[in-house]
Amino acid sequence: MKNKLKKYFALTRLGIIETFQWRLALFVMILGNLLYLTLIYFLWKAIFSSAGNDVVNGMTFEMTMVYLVLATSLYGVVELYIVWEIGRNIQNGKIVLDLLRPIKYKHYVFWENSGVLVVNFLVTFIPTFVIVVIMTKGTIPLGWNLLYFILAFVFSIVINYNIDFIVGTICLYTESIWGINIMKQMIVALLSGATIPLAFFPEKFVAVVKYLPFKAIYDTPLTLLMTRNPGWQTVISKLGFSLFWMIAISAFSGFFWRISIKQVTVNGG
Amino acid sequence: MKNVTGNESGAAIKRRGLVFYTKIYFKIIAQDIKSKMSYRADFIISTIGIIATNIAGFIAFIIMFGKFPSINGWSYYEILFLYGFSLISITPTQCLLDNNWSLRRYVYDGDFVKYCFRPINVWFYYVSEVFDVKGLGQLVFGIGALVYAWIKLAIPVEFLLIMKIIVALVTASLFMMALQNAAAASCFWIQNSFWLLDISLKMKDYAKYPITIFNDVFRFIFTFILPVAFMAYYPSLVILRPDNVPVLTWLSPVLGVAAFYGSYKLWMKGASKYDGSGS
Repeated sequence: MKNKLKKYFALTRLGIIETFQWRLALFVMILGNLLYLTLIYFLWKAIFSSAGNDVVNGMTFEMTMVYLVLATSLYGVVELYIVWEIGRNIQNGKIVLDLLRPIKYKHYVFWENSGVLVVNFLVTFIPTFVIVVIMTKGTIPLGWNLLYFILAFVFSIVINYNIDFIVGTICLYTESIWGINIMKQMIVALLSGATIPLAFFPEKFVAVVKYLPFKAIYDTPLTLLMTRNPGWQTVISKLGFSLFWMIAISAFSGFFWRISIKQVTVNGG
Repeated sequence: MKNVTGNESGAAIKRRGLVFYTKIYFKIIAQDIKSKMSYRADFIISTIGIIATNIAGFIAFIIMFGKFPSINGWSYYEILFLYGFSLISITPTQCLLDNNWSLRRYVYDGDFVKYCFRPINVWFYYVSEVFDVKGLGQLVFGIGALVYAWIKLAIPVEFLLIMKIIVALVTASLFMMALQNAAAASCFWIQNSFWLLDISLKMKDYAKYPITIFNDVFRFIFTFILPVAFMAYYPSLVILRPDNVPVLTWLSPVLGVAAFYGSYKLWMKGASKYDGSGS
């Protein structure tokens, strides 16, 4: 067990070092996020001012902004461009080398990218969180909810990774990565509540969306983070939902990969 | 005798105008489309992908704007008009300049050198190699949204208005192509320019909202520094606000051509600087 973890963390460490090699990329990414936050700030401000009401769908402008700012920074952490990586490795044949490694391909890709995840979490999420807590003074309670958030966030990372891995596996059957990746990004961003809080969705739409795994990626961790003194039942049902989907989707992605890799031939190398 | 042939071939190179390049363009993309058609599963999945992406986009649009009759002085159908407009004007970038997404890799791996040895314009040869058919799916959604909004806004169907919207769409497309082209060209100078391209792609999402929602500072930035406002807002004012068209709208076709030419020059400068590093 200890050896196994050591092997994984070695990959994490490499990823961290590599990420700091790309300081410019990190800078551009932060700049891009700031631009996006500017857009959503003015957009939602316009929406709230035309609603003529301080509270729209049970959310104030401040709550909506806190939610969206944190969702955006979480998006920056969990979006690892896994589909691109798998798709490219299939196209150029590098995947053959990775399959020969003494580690499952699914685990290899995850741990290889975990360094980026750690750096992004420290460089984008933590500062954003601190700034939001200081600026909004009390919108985010500082108590047990932080722990629930961390748990839900770990589930969220695994669920998001497995969705990426499933979509990456589809790349074994197709030549294009772009179309599939854009589709995945749009669908996940919409159904997980990353771009619009689920509270704004029409009821009939939520009735379906609430059973899908996507909401465990952004909605669940952020709701747990922003709720003051949630009841035990709420916490357990929300975390249970995430846990269930984490196990289900991990099992499926592993299964899908195993049947797919047998049928596929890879060119190049 | 030799001299004469030399002169003749020199003249032949000079004569390579629009007709020559159009002919070559169709020859090159025919190859690309043929090779893509051989992957039928891929074509089907990509088409489903583009449809699903656009449906998700429309759902998000309806959730955000459907409940309110107007946002910031813009009616629901006017915002829908901008949305459709931006989808149409992104189409040329997506269909014609798709290969720019791979430029970074070609430069990094050293494979870019193959484009430098052809007796035709490097930029032309590079971008014509790939034609993204899927981009046309977006065009269908864009035209649908624009026509629907046009009808709902009760804008008359007149020849002059149709000409105006075509010029406006071409203008907006030029700005989008310029931004993507320049972002792609950055890979000649900096490594890992993927992020710049990614941001340039996201700018099209910013373009579909009226610039008036921003405060003065960001209105300035999105007009003069990042030309987001020219990607839908300013050009479409000729249709949406015909009585009150700002000077920038009239200038936008010229600025669009200038921006595109500038991005092309930047790309070519990068290509001429390229020294074939890599394996």
